[in-house]
Amino acid sequence: MNIRKPDGRPIEPMRQPGYYPGYSTLSQQKFWDAKTREVVLARVSNVPPIRFFSADQARTMEVICAHIIPQDDRDPAYRIPILPGIDDRLWNKRHDGYRFEDMPDDGEAFRLGLRAIDEIAQHLHGALFVDIGWREQDLILESLHHGKPAAGHEIWQRMNVSRFWLMLVQDCVEVYYAHPWAWDEIGYGGPAYPRAYMRLEGGLPEPWEVDEQRYDWLAPEDTVSDKYELVAGEESHYGSPGQGGTH
Amino acid sequence: MKRPLLGQFEAPRNGSHWLGPIQRLPQPMRRFPEGETVDYVIVGVGAGGGVLSQRLSRAGFRVIGFDAGPFWDSERDWVSDEAGSHPLYWEELRITGGQHPLAFGANNSGRGVGGSTVHWAAFTPRLHPSDFRLRSQDGVAVDWPISYADIKRYYELMELEMPVSGPAWFPWGDPHGYAYGPHPMGGVGDILIKGCTKLGIRVSAGGPVGILEGSHGDRPHCIYRGFCIQGCKVGAKASTLITHVPDAIRNGAEIRPNCMVSRIHLGADRRVTGVSYFDPNGKERFQKARAVIVSGYSIETPRLLFNSACPGFENGLANSSDCVGRYLMAQAGNVVLGRFDELIRMYKAPPAHCMTEEFYETDPKRDFVRGFAIQSVGPLPIAFAKQMMKAKGAWGWGMRRIGMDYNHWASIAVLGELLPNAENRVQLSEVKDALGLPVAKVTFNLYDNDQKLIAFARKKTEEVMWAAGAKEVVQEARYAHLVGAARMGDDPETSVVDRYGRTHDIANLFICDGSIMPTQGSANPGLTIQALAARTADYLISQGEAIFSSNKRDMTPPPVRRELAPPETWGKGAPRLK
Amino acid sequence: MYTPLYCAAAVGGAGIWAVCSRKAARTVLPAVCVVTLADSAIGLYFHVRGVHRKPGGWRLPVVNIIMGPPLFAPLLFGVSAYLGLIASFLRRSGHDEERRFPRPAAAGHVARLLTAGKHEQIGWEQDLREGRFQKHMAVATIVSAFLSGFEALYSHYKNRFQYRIAQASPLVIAPALMVAAGAAIRSKRAAHTALPLLSVAAMVDGGVGTFYHVRGVIRRPGGLKRPLYNVIWGPPVFAPLLFAACGFVGLLASLLRREK
Repeated sequence: MNIRKPDGRPIEPMRQPGYYPGYSTLSQQKFWDAKTREVVLARVSNVPPIRFFSADQARTMEVICAHIIPQDDRDPAYRIPILPGIDDRLWNKRHDGYRFEDMPDDGEAFRLGLRAIDEIAQHLHGALFVDIGWREQDLILESLHHGKPAAGHEIWQRMNVSRFWLMLVQDCVEVYYAHPWAWDEIGYGGPAYPRAYMRLEGGLPEPWEVDEQRYDWLAPEDTVSDKYELVAGEESHYGSPGQGGTH
Repeated sequence: MKRPLLGQFEAPRNGSHWLGPIQRLPQPMRRFPEGETVDYVIVGVGAGGGVLSQRLSRAGFRVIGFDAGPFWDSERDWVSDEAGSHPLYWEELRITGGQHPLAFGANNSGRGVGGSTVHWAAFTPRLHPSDFRLRSQDGVAVDWPISYADIKRYYELMELEMPVSGPAWFPWGDPHGYAYGPHPMGGVGDILIKGCTKLGIRVSAGGPVGILEGSHGDRPHCIYRGFCIQGCKVGAKASTLITHVPDAIRNGAEIRPNCMVSRIHLGADRRVTGVSYFDPNGKERFQKARAVIVSGYSIETPRLLFNSACPGFENGLANSSDCVGRYLMAQAGNVVLGRFDELIRMYKAPPAHCMTEEFYETDPKRDFVRGFAIQSVGPLPIAFAKQMMKAKGAWGWGMRRIGMDYNHWASIAVLGELLPNAENRVQLSEVKDALGLPVAKVTFNLYDNDQKLIAFARKKTEEVMWAAGAKEVVQEARYAHLVGAARMGDDPETSVVDRYGRTHDIANLFICDGSIMPTQGSANPGLTIQALAARTADYLISQGEAIFSSNKRDMTPPPVRRELAPPETWGKGAPRLK
Repeated sequence: MYTPLYCAAAVGGAGIWAVCSRKAARTVLPAVCVVTLADSAIGLYFHVRGVHRKPGGWRLPVVNIIMGPPLFAPLLFGVSAYLGLIASFLRRSGHDEERRFPRPAAAGHVARLLTAGKHEQIGWEQDLREGRFQKHMAVATIVSAFLSGFEALYSHYKNRFQYRIAQASPLVIAPALMVAAGAAIRSKRAAHTALPLLSVAAMVDGGVGTFYHVRGVIRRPGGLKRPLYNVIWGPPVFAPLLFAACGFVGLLASLLRREK
């Protein structure tokens, strides 16, 4: 469903949502160094095939990714592929350098998690996850966020539900916000070598960046993911999957 | 401008090994013939290993530095991109457990020549004199076997060798000034200054950070691109890859990259004879050495000692104290994010450019001992999204919305001193890596003092963020850095190495990296690790042949050998208050 | 990087000494000023090289001029030394001047070298001595207005002209002042109308700019509680005064006697 204006009327999908219309990091690629340009352009043009997930698993994952990073406000031709990035990492057995002792390895965690999600859908609605309604799918994912899955308990004995959920979400955001179209959406400067920034303070845009032009919008009616409730056990997740460095 | 003058930037054409846009690695590098015995093998060429290889080779010793990762060429290998920077981090497996498990990988572990100094944010404060006397002063943890006075000259030296930029007067701990001026602020630094000024808290703007504020030799100064944690392609941020390894090579050291040291060998005379390692083709080889220095950092160093277990040391090499792997520490690193009506654009400027240590020392009015620092951080989009996942529970449309709001958020973080505990430890797991070596299993819990400290620190940091004018404040619980797991001490029953990094059990085996620190303070450990390495190097150089031929331990403090610093160190910087 | 500090102290000291002592004005002052001029040329070389050695170098002229070493600051420094050198040629009027303070032979050699033996050499030197160097000062006005205006251009561009009128004003006045000074070289009338008008405008603008810059420093996070840091990284407090100094040179030019 479409996102909406504050009065409820739908907003049509855009080529580039976000508050920076006309902004394009890719237009600045001549100012990037050669290696960076090569890597970023490859990310845009070479979408890897699905090799790790089976056809059924891929179908389910595709739907899950569409919930975790919904892109209904994007014109279909300008949606960022998420699943191929996750599949590629699992296929190449790339992980972040650590596994929690209460988790299986990442590939196995995804297989188990997908099974558990289908079990919840069966338990609640008597059908596979991909075959139930959008809102019902959203609610099942929300239950993982809250650490209260309705079924699949024998799987959740082998795998911490919050950690699985955190890994799933962080994998999705890693692929989405690595893409130049997402950088354009959020007004991020993109690669910055050899040319970096001259306006460091006051949030001023570089000459090639764009001023913010906000618009108010509401999430679609059939979603529950716009609520901002802390993930279950947040207080103890000092170390969580996929964490980067800070200071 | 639509493009740079003369067209887009292309890859460098000639065969040089680049360390920045101008700096090149001295070539050719010496290679020791197969079968030759060298003086020192250094395992891990990171913060400690890089300094050691430079000092020892400059003093005339034959040195080989092994690193499991690549010998980076900044122009060819590094990308100005978050997702493309995974090769910089140690992403081989570790198992993490306990009630409050640690994260590894990009969080605190590097891999490759330069180690974690390639991806650190480069904050370089010193420890405070009180950090060396926790037991006598606060009745917790242990005292270091050395005092601040023993390391002070090395701090000063390292602050010139990196060099460190900072304010003219840094008022906390042992007050001092910096020879290189402070950096300009980015959006986050301005927020931290505003919040601290409003609350009457002193704040240090522009450092101390190991990033050039003015160019130095072949290294340009910072261009404020914000990609510190993805490797500094400019060469402005110090890493031993560019500050010490070039001089090591110039003086005849050999660096062997892509070589994983798998085992340290012990001879019949209870002295080490060399190391086994897997070469870049996966073939196992043996390198003979008259002494071995382990600088693998807090997880790989104990892991290697455990994997080197042998008759007489069944519990791990040099582990008669059962302290190897124990007393592992991370610092509390809770990130506090605040939303502002105005734009911040926190991706510009280095993440590390502003900090305060006003709450560093124990305050008897609080219900915990020791304290914390507050530092600026600058997450890029992926890191920001991941932080918001935990800080606000963002997912789905909530995540999309917060992502679009990225430029309105600023982010500062706690750096809190967690106390060492024997049960926070590194052990071996049954899981093996691709080379067949058991991986490390880490257990970590927060204890009473830690929890109280974190609660207070988080509240105080949120207060600063509100005072700066934020309209919404959230926080993400997390850790930063890693030290400990092979601590130094005078008593062989309760420590692994002596005050110079020599293991108590084996006369020619040394450990010199973050794992030898018995406590951590609220200072980022990088400067301290490098200072300790320079001090250990001076000791080894003073002892000379005795290290290789005798088991006697002469504890005479060595003189500070300023002349062994890399030659580029001298003659630069402004006069300052010492 | 230390030499401009020493030179500045030396020129300042020599200038003060020259106020009191005619001998110093003819010996110490020109010597110190020539050294400083050389230093400013070396400084220009270093600053150009500094921009070249930034990532991207001169292929990213806008970013690297803005974020690199300030390109024309050394030359602006040299302008003050140049003024000092001019001052050292001046003579106080009076007949006993030449008798009490004869011109050192070296000055004549230098003058001959500089003008390569043209027969006007005696002319310009005498004009200078006798206080007739209006056109000369007009040229100095053009040069310093250009240097100062360029610095203002890229600094205000870095700030995105957030204070539109105040930050654009030096960029309007500087070229106008350059044109007026150029006209003053040819036309005595321009030297007495357009030149003083625009010079005063530059001086007023410099005063306004100083107010803005000082206020900008105070308004920075931490304000006056962080004086050293905010002066270093805030708007440069003396830059508008340097701009006003260009106006002062122009005003001086309009008041001087004209070369024969």
